[in-house]
Amino acid sequence: MNQSPQVQPSIPYGLQRPLSLFAILFLVVLIMMVVNICTGSVTIYLSQLFHLILRPDNTTESFILWKIRLPRAAAAVLCGGYLAVSGLLLQVYFRNPVVGPFILGISSGATLMVSLVMLTSLTMQLHIITPFTVTLAAMAGACIVMTIVVAIASRVKNGITLLIIGLMMGYLCHAVTSVLTALAEKEQVKGFVLWQLGSFSGFKWDEISLLLLVGGLLLMIVFLLAKPLNGFLLGEEYAMSMGINIRIFRMLILFLACSLAGMITAMAGPVAFIGLAIPHMARMIFSTSDNRILIPGTFFLGALVASGCDFIARALLSPVELPLSAITAFFGAPVVICLLMKKRVQL
Amino acid sequence: MNYSYTNAKTAALTCHNLVVGYTDKPVISNINLSFETGQFITLLGPNGAGKTTLLRTLSRHQEALAGSIRVGGQPLTQLRQADLARIMAVVLTDKVTPPLFTAFQFVALGRYPHTGFLGRLTDKDNDVVLAALAAVHADDLSHRDFADLSDGERQKVLVARALAQEPKILLLDEPTAHLDLKHRLEVMAILRNLCRDKGITVIASLHDVDIAAKISDRVALVKGGAITSWGSPEQILTSETVADLYDFRTACFSHHLGSIEIRGDQYRDRVFVVAGMGKGASIYRMLAKRGYGISTGMLLSNDLDCYVAAGLGAKCISQPPGAVFTEETRNLALREMEASDMIIEANHHTNGPYQENQDLIRRAAQMGKPVFSFRTASGRNETDGIIAVADSSELFTAMEVHCP
Repeated sequence: MNQSPQVQPSIPYGLQRPLSLFAILFLVVLIMMVVNICTGSVTIYLSQLFHLILRPDNTTESFILWKIRLPRAAAAVLCGGYLAVSGLLLQVYFRNPVVGPFILGISSGATLMVSLVMLTSLTMQLHIITPFTVTLAAMAGACIVMTIVVAIASRVKNGITLLIIGLMMGYLCHAVTSVLTALAEKEQVKGFVLWQLGSFSGFKWDEISLLLLVGGLLLMIVFLLAKPLNGFLLGEEYAMSMGINIRIFRMLILFLACSLAGMITAMAGPVAFIGLAIPHMARMIFSTSDNRILIPGTFFLGALVASGCDFIARALLSPVELPLSAITAFFGAPVVICLLMKKRVQL
Repeated sequence: MNYSYTNAKTAALTCHNLVVGYTDKPVISNINLSFETGQFITLLGPNGAGKTTLLRTLSRHQEALAGSIRVGGQPLTQLRQADLARIMAVVLTDKVTPPLFTAFQFVALGRYPHTGFLGRLTDKDNDVVLAALAAVHADDLSHRDFADLSDGERQKVLVARALAQEPKILLLDEPTAHLDLKHRLEVMAILRNLCRDKGITVIASLHDVDIAAKISDRVALVKGGAITSWGSPEQILTSETVADLYDFRTACFSHHLGSIEIRGDQYRDRVFVVAGMGKGASIYRMLAKRGYGISTGMLLSNDLDCYVAAGLGAKCISQPPGAVFTEETRNLALREMEASDMIIEANHHTNGPYQENQDLIRRAAQMGKPVFSFRTASGRNETDGIIAVADSSELFTAMEVHCP
């Protein structure tokens, strides 16, 4: 190598910028959480907040804080983060910028099961439709679709084929759902439609801890897969030639992405757009395709945007709460368009 | 076929009774090849012959239908993916444009099989990446965005990425497709150097027979579901094998010139060219391009003009080098000249073996055929009836006038 000593090429994997960006993002997410916790029909002041967090008492404020606001803020952060990471995984796997976490029919499967519960009289014996039944149904739907997708992925070699199969499954589920909607009572339909638009309300601490534990574990695995994910940016053929075991890796990616998306859908409904838009924003902000930076980056950014959207959904026409998916789309679509127009971020 | 020069010890890659293709459709059968370490091996053949399929099978991107492949003595099927990646790297034809990647970062991806769990680059890794960039003369590209590179620059960076894997074997599928001539030659020179300097075995599918002939150590001709020839290009790349390989009708690969001559349709008048010492070559090509029938003489058979005339399918009156042209050659030339409509004197010799051609020119003038000559005014006799032309464009104008 005839590298002259004075030419000292800088190594582009600098960590200074991403680390400071992480710190900033983390702070902003915290601030957004506090804003979400403090605002609403009953305002909680900052001084009160610290007091109540350290020493919960029997006041209404304490009840609202611990039973409603805190779980909701935590749910927004975790769901937004996980959804964004799930979207990132699938965008990298399919090397396609318009792919989101629900592209493989996860949300359609969940929606189908939920429609069975909410729109038919199958659950008459259960007296009331508790949020718990809905969650279980959605979980079941997401799991069924995920199992099918991963099973198909073990046979189909081509990513595009898998993508189309996923889309078709989505259409099939949607077809059944629309038949059920047509047959259902008006009142039931409204509830079902609202569920389809997603919401971070009504989260219980059990669900939050589940999100934290299972989601955290999945997120750890995702981060450990950052290296093969980077290799995957060149496509399956090159990835193979660099030593990635494609079969195992493909199943793992799909399993992780679908589990994250399925878990969120079961608890918050199909929240649109976060998983699609956030990875693009993260790529722009961190100006890298390095997944070791993007995975934490998308998580924080997803958490931030989901919290922000939830705040807008609650605050804009308060006391009426707007559908979450409407806000995320209002926010997400223009952002994605602007980013794409301004600079190329396509995969 | 003769594989006696293959040596099991130095073989980087061997195929034994290999059949490649798809489940119900074998593409190439009965492949028995042994690629020696540090050699440049070229796969030549028409589109669809199965060059890519063979390369993909060698790189384990698809399974062999039958037979076996051994890499460095080990069966390919038993190598772990990560181990194989340290032995073999590929440059594919897939268009890859990952966003937001500098050329350096892109090449650094090639360190994949050597880096740790999170792919952190050590100082050594950085050095290898820089060396890989240097080896393909792309040092100056390291900070450029990969997506903004030109096709030629991108191909060099793709080769650098493969080099960063520090492979012993490099497989390239049409590495020079879509490249301009400069980059085409540059990439080939880079690959040539990799064989020579780093002892890497390069296996590439190529379309340029002439470049392949000049750069490869071994050539495999792929056609009709089989390896039709295998050996050094000097041995096997003859005009017959190349014409057969690509079903040439209007072109001819010249073994001696190492290049391809394009034959004309010969639908126009017949022209006899008096040439020699390489002066005829460009005249033949211009005549062939314009559709003239060509014959030429008298030439010594080691003259460049002879090889070019043969490549163009011209009738060439020649004899082995000697002091004087024989009576037989002379008569052949005269008969050929009589059958021609025009005579061009490309080379005017007043001494040496070709001075006898002067006699031909005189006889042609006597026959009353138009004779065009490039000789200068000083060498011209006013009475010989020769039409003097200054350059080729004047020649063709004059030819149009005399034989429309």
